[in-house]
Amino acid sequence: MALIELREVTKRYRVGEQEIRALDGIDLTIEQGEYAAIIGPSGSGKSTLMHLLGCLDTPTTGKVVIDGVDVSSATDGRLAEMRNEKIGFVFQSFNLLGKFNVLENVELPMIYTGVSKKERRDRAIAAVERVGLMDRAKNTPLQLSGGQMQRVAIARALVNDPKIVFADEPTGNLDSTTGASILQLFRELSEQGRTIVLVTHDSEIADNAPRRIEIRDGKIVNRAAGFQSGIHTPPPPTA
Amino acid sequence: MNFANSLAVGIREIWSHKFRSFLTMLGVILGVASLLSTFALTDGMAKASREYMTQMGGVERVNVIAQEVPQEQLLLADTSRGRTVEDAELIQRAAKHVSLVTPWYTQFVPLVRKSERLRAYIYGVWPDYVPINRHTVEFGRNITQTDLDEGRAVCVIGTRVIEQLWPEKPNAKPLGETLTINGKPFKIIGIFQLYENEDNRIARLKGKKPVLTTRKGKSYNPYTTKNTAVIIPLTTFYYEYRAANIVGVVDQGPIPKLDGLTIQATDPEHVQDAIDEVSSLLTQTHRGVDDFTFDTRQELAESIEKTAHNTRLTGGLIAGISLIVGGIGITNIMLASITERIREIGVRRAVGAKSGHIFTQILVESTVVGIIGGVLGLVAALGMTHLIKFTTDGASLPVIQTASVALSFGFAVLIGVLSGIYPAWTASRIAPIEALRYG
Repeated sequence: MALIELREVTKRYRVGEQEIRALDGIDLTIEQGEYAAIIGPSGSGKSTLMHLLGCLDTPTTGKVVIDGVDVSSATDGRLAEMRNEKIGFVFQSFNLLGKFNVLENVELPMIYTGVSKKERRDRAIAAVERVGLMDRAKNTPLQLSGGQMQRVAIARALVNDPKIVFADEPTGNLDSTTGASILQLFRELSEQGRTIVLVTHDSEIADNAPRRIEIRDGKIVNRAAGFQSGIHTPPPPTA
Repeated sequence: MNFANSLAVGIREIWSHKFRSFLTMLGVILGVASLLSTFALTDGMAKASREYMTQMGGVERVNVIAQEVPQEQLLLADTSRGRTVEDAELIQRAAKHVSLVTPWYTQFVPLVRKSERLRAYIYGVWPDYVPINRHTVEFGRNITQTDLDEGRAVCVIGTRVIEQLWPEKPNAKPLGETLTINGKPFKIIGIFQLYENEDNRIARLKGKKPVLTTRKGKSYNPYTTKNTAVIIPLTTFYYEYRAANIVGVVDQGPIPKLDGLTIQATDPEHVQDAIDEVSSLLTQTHRGVDDFTFDTRQELAESIEKTAHNTRLTGGLIAGISLIVGGIGITNIMLASITERIREIGVRRAVGAKSGHIFTQILVESTVVGIIGGVLGLVAALGMTHLIKFTTDGASLPVIQTASVALSFGFAVLIGVLSGIYPAWTASRIAPIEALRYG
């Protein structure tokens, strides 16, 4: 079974009198270990799609199945558990807690999992080491550069060993060199077998991912060339 | 998420905005401080009143006092001789719910010893006067029946009399020495104990200056009066002051009317029985003339408790209102802080916090504000009551009771919890994507 499965998913918002169809009949399957980029201009619905995939929101109609769990009509608590155990987020604006140091930020997801203090610390240290920031472990985010902050955010996303990592414009607030190093990190994670979904408006960044899911006006217009929905198999990662 | 973690986060949040947190707590601090101070003051006043009442003989002590003869008995009034020693003797023989009785006379007279003078009330009494009025003869002895029978010129005096008349050695115990009362020498046969309240006793035993300082013309102090006591046998008093009544140049004869008649009931439960017995006895000896009544401490005791209760309630209500206002302050700041931290809430939700976790976090934070505010309030109240100790004359020092502390602190914590409920609920309702969209 696919890791992520979307069937005829729609998402509508009401803004005053007007109804906005943010997503309009999406069918999508993402397999375990895939590295996919969701690309589209602003307002295309790519963020809404990511929210649905990331269990931050539920669809108006249709079915979303993540790792065998139908989350289309899951309770708030169940969604929180999914986010906690199976999903890691990396945001454009890093979203680190300013009052906490690097290790404490990385420990955050494990607090809600109920991991013991000792294990939290050990796993946070391992994750921070993985992104190469052990020398800044006791610093607060304000004392870090943008690239370092994004590495901390990635460490936080990985610390609970999630099935999928979602990255929403992860290089948007970074200069090109730093951005490239962050993308390199994602490629390495992908090579280690982690499922990664990258959301971006930049075609060049999307090129990093072997699979491209283009979205326009709430519809998927072009899946990776030559493949049809549901029968896609991941191509070998390009270095 | 465990409770300890919420607590740590809450404390960190409060600590990171020290001044703002302090302002938030101020309402609670002042509320708790005024609540506890009110309780301490009221308890102090009640304690002083109770102490005073006990010193004055407790609820068992009943004064038989004279009253105006009612209108319809005016023509009969002269048939009654008023309260006399015979009344006292009758009560002593016949009233079974009366354990002690003393008739008494009193007069304001000069006391002289060498060149020292003091004007004071002296009392002519029976030996029972001493236990009824909770006097204790510490040195020497009390007046005895023999003193009464022989009309001896002896007296028992209080410590303040010695202080005033023996200024060169205020701790003297001048037993057997002579004191001139209204020009007649009296032998000192007994000295009363020094009466003082607990605080003073403790201060004195520690060798410190007494907390209680009586200044002239300042408030009435039961201890001063009691320490200035001078008693002599009733018969001696009668021969000296009441055996003749010279108006102009004519002796009107002796005055048998007592200045006072005091009884003590066998126990507090039988005060009314004692009053009934004495009343029926005296109605006979007074030939039905209704010229006496009873002054009990029962009403005083009740009014003390009632006043204490009412003051407690009123003060508590006002302080309680200020605590509630403090709580509203907390709610307000918490709501503002949620708007400020909406992104943090979003991040926490994104990494797996359930709405319940957010609710707990905010609630714990407001509770911590209540707890810290409560503790600071208790400290402030302690300071305030110490300040009050300097300004009062000492008769009614504030008393901090454990129950008052627990009540004030408990109320502060409760306010902390209640004021956090609405902000916590608001914060927990924010959808994760809404929270993340901010900023």
